[in-house]
Amino acid sequence: MQEFIQLPIFGVFISIIAFAGARELRKKFNYALLTPVLVAIVFIILFLFIFNIDFDTYNRGGKYISFFLGPSVVALGVFFYEKYEEVKQNLKVFLLSVAIGGITGVLTVIIFLLLLKVPDFIIESLAAKSVTTPIAIEITKLTGGIPEITAGIVIAVGIFGNAFGPFILKKLGIKSKIAIGTALGTAAHGIGTARAFEESKLAGVYSGLAMCVNGIITALITPYLIQLSFWGVS
Amino acid sequence: MLKALAYIFGFLLLGELITYFFELPIAGNILGMFLIFLALRLKIIKLQDVKPASDKLIKYLVLFFIPYGVGLMVYFEIIANYWLPISVAVIASTVITLYISAIIIEKFGK
Repeated sequence: MQEFIQLPIFGVFISIIAFAGARELRKKFNYALLTPVLVAIVFIILFLFIFNIDFDTYNRGGKYISFFLGPSVVALGVFFYEKYEEVKQNLKVFLLSVAIGGITGVLTVIIFLLLLKVPDFIIESLAAKSVTTPIAIEITKLTGGIPEITAGIVIAVGIFGNAFGPFILKKLGIKSKIAIGTALGTAAHGIGTARAFEESKLAGVYSGLAMCVNGIITALITPYLIQLSFWGVS
Repeated sequence: MLKALAYIFGFLLLGELITYFFELPIAGNILGMFLIFLALRLKIIKLQDVKPASDKLIKYLVLFFIPYGVGLMVYFEIIANYWLPISVAVIASTVITLYISAIIIEKFGK
């Protein structure tokens, strides 16, 4: 048995099964917190815990799955091109919104974490918390944080935006579906975008584009903003 | 499909090569995303040549980051120690980001 779970196929198989099962569960019960990715991760962690299998053993196979994050980020560029036409009329305002929103997302989380006096590696791991997981992971590798912490928090941010984003924005007086979509994509990446598509198709398109644009902006500015803020406190 | 995959991996490779040789502080795949967008805009490559692969990759994007999420288990103690400041900072920052981004479109959008 011990030898079997050392095979990469174990990690690959349990990832696929957990994800497929979680998607079926979502079809039956439509709660925001039953986001397939969260359910799949919790299920796999519990499984590894119960059978006393460590993460490195699982990741012998898991790394073949996460390898596809690289080409998936490139694929987002294709998605961006396809949807680009649909936002043309609002392009300047859209880019302004995502750029300012993106910078705000990085700056505020750094400032709050500095004020709350957490260790530096947590700040480095969370600075890119608003952008899509594969990009956030890459940013964290550059800033010196821990990519696994980034992935967990980024997913949590997405679920938060998905579950509460539209409600909060409507309470704050936002009416435009395009504004809600752009905000969800900027602050809560792909998981937020899934919710934006439920608001309207156009909101979803804006959200998906905002996710791509903020991914680039955050990737460009985060290393500098972190350096700047650490320099500022020292 | 094979051609589309070759393009996607080709641009990924190109992005990685450029960041490697010029020591750019940006990930190769993010540069690859930017380059494939440019190549499509400038009509160097055709949408239908890359779409079969890119659609499939985006469809299963969520699956691909599950192993990183599972990796969080290794850092369970860190999260347990700092869950309160992390939650406060992340939630506050997310709400502010949502609002700032939305209000700009609400005020100036069409």
